[in-house]
Amino acid sequence: MRSFKAYFKKEILESVRGNKYLILFVGTIFWALLDPLVLKLLPLLLKNYLPADLTVLFSTFNRDTAFQTFLKDLFQIGTIIIALTLMGLLSNEVSLKKLVFPYSRGANPAGVVLAKYIHYTVTISLFILIAFLTNYFYINRLFTGGMLSIEIALKSSLLYILYYSVLLSILLCLSSLFKRGLIAGITVLVLGYTLSIFNQFKVVRAYLPNYLLFKAADIGHIFDNSLIPTVIISFCIIILLIFFSILRMKKIDVA
Amino acid sequence: MIKVVNLKKSYGRLEALKSISFEVEKGSVFGFIGRNGAGKTTTMNILTGLIKFNGGKIFIKGKDFLKNKQELVRSIGYLPETPTFYNYMNTYEYLNFIARIIGCNLKKTRKSVGKLLEMVKLTKQGKRRIGGYSRGMKQRLALAVAFMNSPEILFLDEPASALDPEGRVEMLELIEGLKDDKITIFLSTHILNDAERVCDKICIIDEGKILLTKNLSQLYETYIQPIFDVEFEEDPEDEVNLLKKFSWIESIKENGRRISIYVKDIDYAKKEILKELSKLDNNITSYRTRKSTLEDIFIRMVSKNEII
Repeated sequence: MRSFKAYFKKEILESVRGNKYLILFVGTIFWALLDPLVLKLLPLLLKNYLPADLTVLFSTFNRDTAFQTFLKDLFQIGTIIIALTLMGLLSNEVSLKKLVFPYSRGANPAGVVLAKYIHYTVTISLFILIAFLTNYFYINRLFTGGMLSIEIALKSSLLYILYYSVLLSILLCLSSLFKRGLIAGITVLVLGYTLSIFNQFKVVRAYLPNYLLFKAADIGHIFDNSLIPTVIISFCIIILLIFFSILRMKKIDVA
Repeated sequence: MIKVVNLKKSYGRLEALKSISFEVEKGSVFGFIGRNGAGKTTTMNILTGLIKFNGGKIFIKGKDFLKNKQELVRSIGYLPETPTFYNYMNTYEYLNFIARIIGCNLKKTRKSVGKLLEMVKLTKQGKRRIGGYSRGMKQRLALAVAFMNSPEILFLDEPASALDPEGRVEMLELIEGLKDDKITIFLSTHILNDAERVCDKICIIDEGKILLTKNLSQLYETYIQPIFDVEFEEDPEDEVNLLKKFSWIESIKENGRRISIYVKDIDYAKKEILKELSKLDNNITSYRTRKSTLEDIFIRMVSKNEII
């Protein structure tokens, strides 16, 4: 618990001084603000340059499609920002020998790993929640139609939070395995984007965490029974990978 | 206090430690000396629990280190040769961070942080970010970290390497002072004068093997052979080759026009050396005998190891 508290405070300080909060905040909130505005303004800006039959396409946007566009952008760009910002969570500590003093004074690897995971999960969850609420607010102001409600936005955000919690556990585990954070970051990106392809295959998709994103965009049917295996598997992945990261940090040579 | 039995460590095919054994008594200063790459830092990293080892046993305060690592490292302070910190923190923040890991209470920490900064002369720079510190200042801060919570055992790896001459003297005085507080100190250094000044026991390590472990006084008794320093008028290359042929001469260390003659039989050498020197063509500008220093003993031991 001592190491957990010490590292939790250290991560807060590092995120403030290293502008990590700012980068993660902008990376998530930016799309919540920008997407509805772009969708609203684009038809007006392109009115004189596009053929009439194409501009009709823009007029079909309602609150649901605007929300789905935000979800898609958040996944595509938000994942890059999160992976590249947090890729060195453990690898940097080891390769730059930052753990020499803490370990030599009795730091508990479990406390170090858990503090890092919980700190960034809470941070990202909070930013995602703010992003979803902001996006909902803007969509309500700028678009009409569709069945989007605050309840749907919150349910959807919960699935995104769970997805990014899984992604963060993968990132943390890979970061404990590789000496270079960049390898961990790129592996997570490749994994994240590749697994989304499986959302097209009904037989397997419910067993992969990316199904959470698919369901988050399934407005009107977000929470249904098909999510049960996905949620169970997601929690299993998190527990397993965190456990593995702790084990790895216990065995690793830090000097 | 520390007992190491047949400790082994390999990095792939390279054997960094080849079954080393030694003991460090409570409250003593144990000088661990050796050349670069001899295995000093590897030993220290193992004894502070930072790296694993491949074989052997370690006992600290009578307890098996592997089984009680978490408990034992709390009574250990470590000053690495190249200390690294979180550069965005200031000194107060870093020391508080370490205090939280050790489990010091807030009141005690505030008091001890102030004292430590005073001791390492960083009070004025306490609120400056560590990233802006010089190497010497980082070394001082590292010493403060090692001292946190008054450890029973201190591992100091080249503690004076980044310090200016004044800082080095202060460091030695500090170590001498710690002797009185009955703190066990494991000092790794290649500044042999420093080791000679503060250590009670000397251990020489070379190529992962312990060559010698002795109390400083015993060491001088065993190896107290005078050395004959001779300075010639001209470069003494031929003279050195000639002298090397005598069986009573162990080795000759050359330094320009000056040579140091190490002998095997001191009584015989005293009688013969002047006779033989007077026969040489090269004029002698100075001649004196001096007692062996730790440096001489170290060179002798390490050269023997090279022959082996």
